[in-house]
Amino acid sequence: MPWYLYLALKQLFPTGRRFPFFTVISILGVALGVALLIVSISVMGGFGHEIRRMIVETQGDVQVRARGLIENPAEVRAQLAQVPGVVATTPFAEGVVLLEHASRPAYPNVQGVSLTHVGQVIPLRRYVRMGSLDHLDDESIILSAQLAVAIGARVGDTVELYSPLLLQKLRQDEIFLPRGLRVAGIFEVGHQQLDSTVVLVTLRLMQDIYGLGGAVHGINIKIAPDADADGVARAINRILPDTLRARSWAELNQDFLFVLQLEKNMIFFLLTFIIVVSAFSVTSSLLIAVVRKTREIGLLSALGGKPRHVAACFCFQGFLIGLGGTIFGLGLGFAALHFRNDMVTAFTKLTSSETVLARFYQFSQLPSYSAPGDVTAIIVCSIVISTLAGLLPAWRAAKLNPVEALRSE
Amino acid sequence: MAEPARSSDSLNVERSALNVERSAGGGPILQARGLAKSYLSGDRRIEVLRGTDLDVAAGESVSIRGESGSGKSTLLHLLAGLDAPDAGTLAWAGAPIVAADATERRATYLGMVFQSFYLIPELDALQNVLMASRILGRPGPADRARARELLGRVGLAGRVTHLPAQLSGGERQRVALARALMNSPPLILADEPTGNLDERTGDTVIELLLSLCRETGTALVLVTHNAAHAAKTHRGLFLHDGVLR
Ligand SMILES: Nc1ncnc2c1ncn2[C@@H]1O[C@H](COP(=O)(O)OP(=O)(O)O)[C@@H](O)[C@H]1O
Ligand SMILES: [Mg+2]
Repeated sequence: MPWYLYLALKQLFPTGRRFPFFTVISILGVALGVALLIVSISVMGGFGHEIRRMIVETQGDVQVRARGLIENPAEVRAQLAQVPGVVATTPFAEGVVLLEHASRPAYPNVQGVSLTHVGQVIPLRRYVRMGSLDHLDDESIILSAQLAVAIGARVGDTVELYSPLLLQKLRQDEIFLPRGLRVAGIFEVGHQQLDSTVVLVTLRLMQDIYGLGGAVHGINIKIAPDADADGVARAINRILPDTLRARSWAELNQDFLFVLQLEKNMIFFLLTFIIVVSAFSVTSSLLIAVVRKTREIGLLSALGGKPRHVAACFCFQGFLIGLGGTIFGLGLGFAALHFRNDMVTAFTKLTSSETVLARFYQFSQLPSYSAPGDVTAIIVCSIVISTLAGLLPAWRAAKLNPVEALRSE
Repeated sequence: MAEPARSSDSLNVERSALNVERSAGGGPILQARGLAKSYLSGDRRIEVLRGTDLDVAAGESVSIRGESGSGKSTLLHLLAGLDAPDAGTLAWAGAPIVAADATERRATYLGMVFQSFYLIPELDALQNVLMASRILGRPGPADRARARELLGRVGLAGRVTHLPAQLSGGERQRVALARALMNSPPLILADEPTGNLDERTGDTVIELLLSLCRETGTALVLVTHNAAHAAKTHRGLFLHDGVLR
């Protein structure tokens, strides 16, 4: 081991001293920053992950849409089935309707889903909380949970549906009655917007009330677990005519994902300052050490030590503190993540706010997802910052004139 | 205080190999010509050294005495290549030395001993001695054995794992002696090594230093205030008015 590394280690962990205060405190400072970063970024990542999953589970991995309508969905679906990576497809039609129950109106987005195929692409069944997907037919509707509450409808009730086509015909003085639809079920995805504005009907009913004939608005596609959504979308676009376009879920939700990423980056940026602050304290401690050890630095020169090696000795101390702090911080952070739900439970019990928590967050469990890239970034950041913290003291030490250092009594 | 063991064969064996290099050409181990150094103090220039010469032969011991502030430390720093003179030249074993690139050679050519020991407080006695060979990048088993042996030679065989704080002043200076000898340098520069020690302890340290140098054929430049210590060296010099005489 080069002497400067040896000396750096010995200065951090002096022989015979059980508890090197400076070292432990410095490592703790970095560790706290790293732990906090790990926990925050992982929980953020967990929320992001949940949201992405929700998007994919409600929209499919890839969506094909036409400028107007897809007139020949069966043909297009047959074409899509040829594309490698495509596992299943399901056509859909969508629109806005006026829904009324007990004189309470709502204007939900209505999704017409193909009962035969939708289950292969979108795990709707999992989200139906009351009633059942099996009870859905051309005379019934599935409401989203918050919408059902808003219009006061329950499973088994009948709601009245006015489509734009119906209203158009009304204007032409033709008499048409609104469609009465039985509520076959209530679903809840856990996403505020979806849960308050979406209703589901069969594709056939949707085609009927919108006068689409056999046409659909789009096709949702499920891809193989290891396939890349953007890649599959590109492959699809190569074989489909120009009037049709496939877009991946990521492309469809570009803005939303961007905001999500921005949020995470901001948190990363802000929490990194905890490490920066602890690095400053490492810098000042090491600067004090350089002053305190002036004569020893002079002695090292007298022994034939080179200034840049003296510098390396102090730089290495910063690096070691960073390394120790990072390892300890990772342990601390992942331990906290492991027990996160116990901690949340304990906290809510302590403040008796369990109900508040359940009401304001859709997740009863705190999600967590530590992306390897994020963890790597945290590790690199903290070690680099800590090493930089040793740079100024190192420079001071290297600059010391050995003669003056030896004279400083 | 235990009387240090007299002689050590292994020390002498290692030394003999170096003696060849040391006496190569038969010229002086150290040669200084016209060394001058002045310091600016406020707006006044203090001429500390005014062109002094010094020759030290291999194995020779030279004492330098002089008043406080006469420039003895300044001279030693110049001789060690730690500082650059304003004028004059320096040669080690006939090779000219420039302070700027003396660092690497210093590790093997010079051992230095100071008034206040300058041990590294985080390291025990053995590691302090080994520091000299660490800087050369080679603390192998042989070096460890040699460090232990040197510590035994200065009478600290039982204290190798003691930290400087656990040693007395005399013991610390003896660790520093062992460190100075660690790399078998042909020359030792000692700047008032007994300045911080009581008289009796100082006497033993000087005895030890001189006998070690004698045994190993190491040349010595000893700065001291003590006339009795100076009398034990081969040659006594005075630094006065910036010149050795
Ligand atoms: N860096 C410096 N700046 C100004 N004066 C100095 C400096 N170093 C030494 N001196 C002066 O040089 C003179 C000689 O100092 P020194 O070599 O330490 O003397 P000695 O070792 O003989 O006591 C003293 O007067 C001291 O004040
Ligand atoms: Mg002096």
